[in-house]
Amino acid sequence: MVEAAVVADQFAVFAEKLTDFSKTVTAKVSIAQTPKELVWTLNKAKLYRYVPVLPKEKRHPVPLLLIFALMNRPYILDLRPGHSFVEFMVSQGYDLYLLDWGSPGPEDKNLKFDDYTLEYMPRAIRKMKAISGVEEFSMLGWCIGAILATVYSALRAEDGLRNLILLTAPLDFSNKQGITFAKWVDERFFDVDKVLAAVGNMPAEMIDYGARALKPVDNYVLNYLKLWDNLDNPHVVEGWKAMNTWVTDNVPLAGGVFRQLIVDLYRNDRLMRGEWMIRGERVDLSRIRANLLTVIAEGDHITPPCQSEAILSKVSSKDKELFRTPGGHIGIMAGSGAHKITWPHLEHWLGPRSK
Amino acid sequence: MADERATNGKAANGEDGDPMAAFRELRDTYLNAWSKSMVDAVNTEAYAKASGQMLDAYLSVSSPLREIMEKTMLQALQQLSMPSRADVISLAERLTNVEMKLDDMDAKLDTLTDFRKQPASAARVRKPAAVAPPNTRKGKR
Repeated sequence: MVEAAVVADQFAVFAEKLTDFSKTVTAKVSIAQTPKELVWTLNKAKLYRYVPVLPKEKRHPVPLLLIFALMNRPYILDLRPGHSFVEFMVSQGYDLYLLDWGSPGPEDKNLKFDDYTLEYMPRAIRKMKAISGVEEFSMLGWCIGAILATVYSALRAEDGLRNLILLTAPLDFSNKQGITFAKWVDERFFDVDKVLAAVGNMPAEMIDYGARALKPVDNYVLNYLKLWDNLDNPHVVEGWKAMNTWVTDNVPLAGGVFRQLIVDLYRNDRLMRGEWMIRGERVDLSRIRANLLTVIAEGDHITPPCQSEAILSKVSSKDKELFRTPGGHIGIMAGSGAHKITWPHLEHWLGPRSK
Repeated sequence: MADERATNGKAANGEDGDPMAAFRELRDTYLNAWSKSMVDAVNTEAYAKASGQMLDAYLSVSSPLREIMEKTMLQALQQLSMPSRADVISLAERLTNVEMKLDDMDAKLDTLTDFRKQPASAARVRKPAAVAPPNTRKGKR
């Protein structure tokens, strides 16, 4: 009888833990909480300016524009209060802007890098300069955002870019054996035109699957197991929920961009070879003269380190630095160690260059 | 974007005296080995070929059905005098072009406002950055 009662108790505990686990896995939490105001829109794109917390005389005069990837929500940069890169930089006195690309619709399937870099970004930057009353600015591009920032910097080198920060930038596609995505989209195996003819824009679910399939056991089993093991640790659970909210909120990728990514970059490495034409202009990386900081995540399986190194030898910047940090593609900015390593390094680099 | 959730909690070993600690250690050892072998597997040409073939097969099988559905839907919408997807997309493209023109006008107004605020002797006109006119060719956007 006593044994039956013990078993029943244990079963009840297990059932309660299973209920908590289910609720956590399906929970959507409030993120992107740092106060901001919408200052510009075009189509689905929105430019936000974060509300300064320091008086003007204590702020850096050179504003900073954040550009993230096209197929993910940018609020990974503002995940939750107390663990937000945006919150950190605003507290350090930066006049901070974020360009949210939004979610492309069927009418946007022909949007290409050309449109984003030569129509959307110049207009957003023009508005930013008008609001901040400056001619020079800094720009931080992360992942595909780094490609956009790099292309813009090369094509519009005279637009006042003073500082350029590239995080886990997939720019060099020459090492096909070292890049898993490059193997998957080889022209022998992947008919990009057939896919896009069927779907228009690349669906968020397909992109998400592709990213998770790079480490299938980690993404489909281990991460949930780690949550299970730490359900009684509220600090871990809150972090997990915030990250899960972001991971499960992807957006489609415009078909034109996806095609350029596969054909021009993954298959033919046109950017590094100096052959990439954007609306009739060659993307010449030697035109980049802005101060440059490139950050590499040593544990990055999405953008291996080899993809972000060559840029330094291509630009004409006199002031340039390569910073390697432990962590993964997202972890270097949103992981538990980001506030101790990456964020301070970015701020220490950018601060003196923002006066 | 693959997830890298911040799970910095206790290690799988748990606390001292935990009867499940040995099981968790064995479990984690097995899963880590499986993880490594799966990462190696997805990096092979065989995996790339197989997943490409599956996708191609799905698209080939679903394409005729998709075409039939689109034609049927188009005919039904025409019968009901309702706009088709193509009509709505065309409208959205034109709206984006109008937005761009408005944005350019807004930038010029900003410049004029700045110019009028400054005294003539200290005027430093900041010209709005010229942006290439939007490409209005059909199918471009």
